[in-house]
Amino acid sequence: MTIQQSLIEKIRLADRQGANALLDAWATEHGYERLISDVLDPTLLLIGEKWCASGAMTLAQVYIAAKVTEDVLNKIISMRINPSESHPPKGPVVIGNIEEDFHALGRRMVGTFLRAEGWIVHDLGNDVPATVFVDKALEVGARVIGVSAMIMTTALNIKMVRQEIDSRGLTGRIQLAVGGAVFCVSPGLVGEVGGDGTAANALAVPDLFNRLWRQSVEKEAGA
Amino acid sequence: MNSTDRIMATLTGKPLDRRAVAPVLSLYGARLTGCPLDQYYTDPAAYARGQSAVRETFRPDVLCAPLAFASIGAAFGSELVFIDTDVPNIRRPAVQTVEDWNLLVPPDPDTDPRLLYFRESIRLMAAEHRDQVPISMVIPIPADIPGLVMGLEAWLETVLFDPAGAQLVMEKVIPFYVQLVNGFFAAGAKFVAMPCGFASPTIVTRDIVSTFTRPILDRVLSQLHGPVILHNVGAPLLAHLDLLTGLPSVVGVIMDQRDDLARARLVVGPDIVLFGGLDCSTISQMTVSDVENRCRAILEERRQDPRFVLGTSGPDVVWNTPPENIHAMLKTAESIGSVGV
Repeated sequence: MTIQQSLIEKIRLADRQGANALLDAWATEHGYERLISDVLDPTLLLIGEKWCASGAMTLAQVYIAAKVTEDVLNKIISMRINPSESHPPKGPVVIGNIEEDFHALGRRMVGTFLRAEGWIVHDLGNDVPATVFVDKALEVGARVIGVSAMIMTTALNIKMVRQEIDSRGLTGRIQLAVGGAVFCVSPGLVGEVGGDGTAANALAVPDLFNRLWRQSVEKEAGA
Repeated sequence: MNSTDRIMATLTGKPLDRRAVAPVLSLYGARLTGCPLDQYYTDPAAYARGQSAVRETFRPDVLCAPLAFASIGAAFGSELVFIDTDVPNIRRPAVQTVEDWNLLVPPDPDTDPRLLYFRESIRLMAAEHRDQVPISMVIPIPADIPGLVMGLEAWLETVLFDPAGAQLVMEKVIPFYVQLVNGFFAAGAKFVAMPCGFASPTIVTRDIVSTFTRPILDRVLSQLHGPVILHNVGAPLLAHLDLLTGLPSVVGVIMDQRDDLARARLVVGPDIVLFGGLDCSTISQMTVSDVENRCRAILEERRQDPRFVLGTSGPDVVWNTPPENIHAMLKTAESIGSVGV
């Protein structure tokens, strides 16, 4: 069994302690610098692609994956290893729950998985007005804003972020990622709120942000 | 048959003049009466007026008591936020950690005004409709209550990484819960529907259901004074349904619109009432024809099933749903006609 398969099994069994022990043992032999790029990233990718896509993974298991990821990131920071040594740095992105939405758990997990991929995450928290999202994106130079909503009523508030992006002439330059439980039951909702893309779960978000970042760069280059 | 006759006949598998239809229209009553939601979810008389309007407009076979889970969290001290066109939400949980629970005294269901709101709403509704339309209360299963008090993330973390702490929390929640729900029955609720977050295949593992959620349900449901209907919480339930069979007091299960109803029937056996139908969020985006076609397909598929009710899955029919779509559910059931005659 590969290290990735062993780690998936620990996460599947909700065994955070076992997962950390496994990763520590690997890092002792190969170095913490390589832990994210060689083990964690491929494992999370595998879980996202194979496991989450089939709907067989629970929120509890994704949460375990996020906690294990957090544990690794904290260890690397405490060892004063430069994160860019273990993973190439990516750009700044902005995430938050839309105005009137207070369901933080999914957004927080998204933040963890994005940080593990090297993104510089500006998490604005819950109940964020559309103007604040766009102001922050401009301030930090983010090409992607990720907006989360759990229920239909609050999801529709995301339209205001779309309007804010468009009215400032930032269409395409700033890409709008949307997500949350309601987007899973209502696939047409992404288009209705003006989203540029969504992901089936928190683990799939880094891939989505990679794609949207590329789209933003291409849009600017073509403009 | 009136609605109470129809629901009782469904529970006992007797012939029906038509299929019972039970969309969850708790929120929709406020739209019909134009009641601001901060009043609707705090004033029992305003809520009861909304449900009278629901009955008059749509003639559903079940009326729902207030579906406002966040208010239960507020009774523990969580900070509530009211939204213009949706149920109240929790802005800030009452506590953060298991240790905080040591100092927390659960609210008294007999005196706390936020909890008495539910009971008084049920009493008013039962006084007006009891003989004609049964009243259902909707409250999350006991294992979901701590999430309303400390937030889902902190509660999930506790259940996953501190099982002993989670049990201590539940020891505080269980007596509170039993007293609260039995108060609903005493006020006139015909049954209580329980969304099963901590039993849902999208939220927890089978192991958590078996070792944590199910034992709590066994213990709590055996102390209740009325029938219970398990609810899908807005996600497919079938993959864990086998872990929820044989629970005391359970007479029905509300399945998700993505669940296979025939397979659900095989799992629960012939005596449990199955509810199935349209998703309460996406019904707002359907055309009348879509609603009719989907309802007809479901009812045809369940034609031979004496214990089936056409309903909605997910929490509550959303505010912007065209009334024609809700009318279409009942019209379709009426057009198909009698069952088992």
